[in-house]
Amino acid sequence: MTELYQALAQGLLIGATYGLLALGMGLVYGVSGVVNFSHGDFISLGMFMCLALYSAFAMDPYVSIIITVPLMIAIGALVYIFLIRPMVGHQFLMVVQLTLGLSLVLQNGILMVFGGEPARTPSFVESKLIILGDVVLRVPHIVAFVVSFALAIGLYIMLRSTDFGRSIRAVHQNAHAAALMGINVGRVQVLTFALGIGILALAAALLLPGTPIQPTQGLRYTVITLLVVVLGGMTNFVGIMLGGLIIGIAEAFGTIYLDGPIGLLLPYIIFVAIMLFLPKGLTWSSAR
Amino acid sequence: MLEIDNLVAGYGGVPVLRDINAKMAAGEIVGLLGANNAGKTTLINALSGMVKPISGRILFLGEDISKLTPQARVELGIVQVPEGRLVFPEMSIRENLLLGGINAHARKHRPQQMEKVIGLFPRLGERLTQSAGSLSGGEQQMLAIGRGLMAEAKLLMLDEPSLGLSPLFVQYIFEIIDKLHADGLTILLVEQNLNLTLRHAKRCYVLERGQVAVEGDAETVKNDPRTRSAYLGL
Ligand SMILES: Nc1ncnc2c1ncn2[C@@H]1O[C@H](COP(=O)(O)OP(=O)(O)O)[C@@H](O)[C@H]1O
Ligand SMILES: [Mg+2]
Repeated sequence: MTELYQALAQGLLIGATYGLLALGMGLVYGVSGVVNFSHGDFISLGMFMCLALYSAFAMDPYVSIIITVPLMIAIGALVYIFLIRPMVGHQFLMVVQLTLGLSLVLQNGILMVFGGEPARTPSFVESKLIILGDVVLRVPHIVAFVVSFALAIGLYIMLRSTDFGRSIRAVHQNAHAAALMGINVGRVQVLTFALGIGILALAAALLLPGTPIQPTQGLRYTVITLLVVVLGGMTNFVGIMLGGLIIGIAEAFGTIYLDGPIGLLLPYIIFVAIMLFLPKGLTWSSAR
Repeated sequence: MLEIDNLVAGYGGVPVLRDINAKMAAGEIVGLLGANNAGKTTLINALSGMVKPISGRILFLGEDISKLTPQARVELGIVQVPEGRLVFPEMSIRENLLLGGINAHARKHRPQQMEKVIGLFPRLGERLTQSAGSLSGGEQQMLAIGRGLMAEAKLLMLDEPSLGLSPLFVQYIFEIIDKLHADGLTILLVEQNLNLTLRHAKRCYVLERGQVAVEGDAETVKNDPRTRSAYLGL
């Protein structure tokens, strides 16, 4: 029983951050039709930036975001303007190819700078624990959960009640009509992509404490994010957050209850099972 | 107010519109007629900046706007109510109206403008939180026009506002158009429906395969045999 609660709690906590990662990808897909296969490598990039800032200035990852978030937003904007935008409107697969290429470039770039050894970035909360009955929670996970949910709620409010948020939704629902309103569609697409990458910088800092990192980990994050986005119905806000929690819990159950490879496969098995019964993911029309 | 000089425009470098010349004075209501595929939508999209000109000029209030972006043109007051209405289906009526007034020029006066639009279409005011996708075709047309008015249009271009509406709604929408005209708004009315348009527009242009086939006041256009042939594609 203790194990069950432990797995549930751990899964929920990490799942919220997975949901946040997927919201970024879903927003970008919604306004540009781009699925970014280098998503996870940008998370890597964010983590290694934190590592670099720790090595140089002994900066805590939670403090580093002051630098990494604006930097990643700028990188995101440049990548969109110079690499992705020229491809949008062409074959969907060309954009996929491009972002896969970008993934390799980022991965190898990180490898060249930091080497291939797993590295850790200490944080002041890293080894702190909270014990609730028999369940042991790591403080970094709790921070990740709270911040991820707060950001998700903030994003939701932004989409609902600001002009920028409404522009994003307008471009998603009908880009031609959005342009006729005087919305600069190209600008909304750049800003959304940059925002999505900026979110990754935050998520990177949330996932980092206590987790060893290596340059090749990006693909794993990309795949998890894809699972969550597809599970959530691509652009459905609530569906995506729910998908994050489900994948987080599946992952925790897999590692706690099952040995070796089968355990690691559990999120995928759950994913396939849900998609078989709900091909459109966890969507319901009123939740947009 | 509007002057189109030898405009050639189309898609991917292939002209659809050839040598269009037209003029509109402030406060005028002008009809743009033509059979299906004649190029009416392409022309108002060229005026909106959604279709780039290949050659020729478009002057608005004396200024050459042919190189301006769609956003800049909306800010000047050139506003299109698109064919098929294209409301944002997953947003409420209120959000659709707010988006109508999102351009830098209109944004400041949105609350007042919203009052006016609701005054014109009380039916929209009664259900501001309802999603646009759940409205009937006629209500969506009201919303599309209301959304266009939110942009503080100086030139309002309506692309086939009667399309797919019941006769009662068509009558209602055209009463609204007459009212807007009476209040001084300059209106370009794009329609396939010949007789309806001739009753409401003082002057008309008839497009045939991307060229102006007939132009003049409603009576002239009505009696010109080329109008019929443009419609029948003879
Ligand atoms: N987006 C487009 N791309 C290529 N050709 C188009 C496009 N839109 C319209 N056309 C072509 O331009 C011509 C005029 O179309 P349109 O302006 O929609 O006519 P109308 O509004 O009078 O029915 C048609 O032959 C149509 O096939
Ligand atoms: Mg048309």
